[in-house]
Amino acid sequence: MTEIVVEVKDLYYSYNSQPVLQGVNLKIRRGEIIAIMGENGAGKTTLIKHFNGLLKPKRGSVKVFGIDTRNASVAELSRKVGLVFQNPDHQLFAETVEKEVEFALRNFGFEEEVVKKRVEWALNLMGLAKYRNRSPFTLSVGERKRLAIASVLSYDPELIIFDEPTAGQDFLQKERIAELLNLLRTRGKTVIIVTHDVEFVATRFERVIVMSQGKIIGDGSFREILSNSEILEKARLLPPQIVKCAWLLSDIGVPRDTLYPEELVRKIEEVIRR
Amino acid sequence: MKIIEFKNVTFTYRGNSEPSLLNVNVEIERGEFILLTGPSGCGKSTFCRLLNGLIPHFYGGELKGEVTVLGMNVKNTPTYELAKYVGMVFQDPENQLFLSSVEKEIAFGLENLGLPREEIKRRVNQVIKYLGLENIREKAPYELSGGQQQKVAIASVLAMQPEVLVLDEPTANLDPYSSLELLNIITRLNRELKITIILVEHRLEMLLDKVSRLMLMDKGKIVVDGPPQDVVLSPEMKIVGIPKVIEVYDRLKKAGYEFGHPPLSPEDLAKAVRRVIGFHD
Amino acid sequence: MNYIFEGFKFKKKNTLIHDLDPRAKFIYLIMSFISALLFTEPIPLVIIFLTSLPLVIIAKTLKEWSRSMKSLSLFVTFIFILNLLSMTENRLNYAFSMVFRFLALTSAFSVFFLTTTPDDFMSALEEMGLPKEYTLMFTMSMRFVPTLARDLQIIVDAQKSRGLELEKGSLIKKVRNYVPILIPLIIYEIRRSIMIAEALEARAFGALRKTTSYTELKMGIRDYIFIFIVVFFFGMLIFLKIFGYLPEWMMIKLPEII
Repeated sequence: MTEIVVEVKDLYYSYNSQPVLQGVNLKIRRGEIIAIMGENGAGKTTLIKHFNGLLKPKRGSVKVFGIDTRNASVAELSRKVGLVFQNPDHQLFAETVEKEVEFALRNFGFEEEVVKKRVEWALNLMGLAKYRNRSPFTLSVGERKRLAIASVLSYDPELIIFDEPTAGQDFLQKERIAELLNLLRTRGKTVIIVTHDVEFVATRFERVIVMSQGKIIGDGSFREILSNSEILEKARLLPPQIVKCAWLLSDIGVPRDTLYPEELVRKIEEVIRR
Repeated sequence: MKIIEFKNVTFTYRGNSEPSLLNVNVEIERGEFILLTGPSGCGKSTFCRLLNGLIPHFYGGELKGEVTVLGMNVKNTPTYELAKYVGMVFQDPENQLFLSSVEKEIAFGLENLGLPREEIKRRVNQVIKYLGLENIREKAPYELSGGQQQKVAIASVLAMQPEVLVLDEPTANLDPYSSLELLNIITRLNRELKITIILVEHRLEMLLDKVSRLMLMDKGKIVVDGPPQDVVLSPEMKIVGIPKVIEVYDRLKKAGYEFGHPPLSPEDLAKAVRRVIGFHD
Repeated sequence: MNYIFEGFKFKKKNTLIHDLDPRAKFIYLIMSFISALLFTEPIPLVIIFLTSLPLVIIAKTLKEWSRSMKSLSLFVTFIFILNLLSMTENRLNYAFSMVFRFLALTSAFSVFFLTTTPDDFMSALEEMGLPKEYTLMFTMSMRFVPTLARDLQIIVDAQKSRGLELEKGSLIKKVRNYVPILIPLIIYEIRRSIMIAEALEARAFGALRKTTSYTELKMGIRDYIFIFIVVFFFGMLIFLKIFGYLPEWMMIKLPEII
């Protein structure tokens, strides 16, 4: 049985006496690639902030890699959990790109040689090696986003969480992010993305968790979840384009859980031939 | 009627070595609903800023060629003058709301224009009613959701009764339902109030069936420009990603099925499929 | 410590004082201010301080006001002792007076801010002639305070997630640890201010020297009566002091015990 890396039991959390998480139960296993979806305010970001100890449960418990988060500091948990925030400008501060990527490694006390090696690897992975001596503030928005990712990947956490990685990104940038997620998958990492981008998630994430008003209202494969009109509506998510087409043609025989364009084409051809 | 014209426009921001816009020639007619898209850094925002004079007055740089908006030459007309006719809504709603209540925010632009108090009151109420903001009129910006904030941002510009409305990625920070709601409002402004709209967006799927013209930019140039059903079939479309419904259409066409014009939405596609089935029965 | 601010934060209530035109309240504030600075005798200063009490009570803000006054006791003690140690002639009297001058000033400000929204305050200043740029500056700063607080929290969270430990280390290390917090914050807010400036331009800010105003301040009978009472009372005090007609009992000094 694969190791459980995140275990959430009956998690409740409120902010300013407003309930934000209302009884969340969740188990995440090593190697899973998961999308946590829902509208703004559903509690997604609040939930993931519990995974590295930024927030502690009001009720219930969160265990990450076997450690109860109430008994560990953010620094301790961050050693194994990398969190890439949505806006890179909330963290960039160093004199050079290189120093920016080094930051976490130095905080965690890695040896000089290891630091140099890992920084090199992260810069190359994100295509930023040529900017290593430039100030982070001279990079374009897309490059700054890559830099933020590089500075988290550099210390090689086991669990990596991305908060809205595709927000405001263009088509090519989204493709690059998808490639990166694939790479992380092949390296055995556990990856969580928090998003409301249904098109990005469709066909890419084997497990989709949907939240609404502080609760998990759906947890299954992308096929099950993203074609389920009830769950999508409750979470205020729109169906992916292909699914929408399938629904509109379901009365003539196209299955409602069609997700891939090729699939839809095949099913339409089947229907036409009949 | 032509209301916006770009003639051989090349613009380089101060301090940059490369131009952000290269030899751009565009004519925009009154009442158009234009979707402007392209990869990051292609010049979409630069294009927008020329429409209300932020370039060259706020952002310095070298402007070659001519930009004329409603008969005014942008180089010689200050932004506060152009702002009477060209409203602009930006990506982050937080930075467009400065005052302590929705009402005051909507009134702000009108105060700047020196309109008499009675007129301001009238317009504020009119816009609040039109956009359905009655129940939040006294709320402060930080009490509102992202979607509501953007609605208020649009309201505060709308109150100034612009003839042209430019929106630079207004749904970037919004979730799907709020985005759709906002885009529907923008569509209404074009259809009901006949405002000329230039909308910069990445989320093409929600808009293809609403806009009258699709402009694709890349590396400072306009590479394709025309009605959406033509542009989506151009090879350059792959720069911004071919919409899924077009992918399906392409494959079905290759398999020999005749669809007529390309579908711009799932509804379009479903209708077309039914038509084809009708013929095959 | 936090309670100090509570006495200066607007709380929406339905009272006579809250409903007064901000200009009337501002006149009260100015006149208290001038009077408090004019007097060095303890009894008039105590009187000036006490004038705020009925206002506090009518405005139903006794709780917030007293909490604030109580938490200022540290300052008060400090002022008392400082003045006690400085002057040579009649120190106790002077120290006592300074304490009450401080209390009179803070109390008047407290009454004003507890019952007047920042917006109304700005409207008052604008009506009295302050150019719009200044009032806008102030209003916008207030409006962005919660936004800035939120940005700060996100930055702290982001850097903590990269292993930054703010509590650990020597004093020097602790100060250096704030660099990764302050730099992103400053740059972020500078970027924000540029975007705000763009948005201001897009709303025709600066089109005219004299702008019109959506909100109206109208003085009613109550406001005029209030202003009359205030001007009469403080005007009298000031007059008596300046022209030397202060009655004997007002000039009583505390004995020189210390």
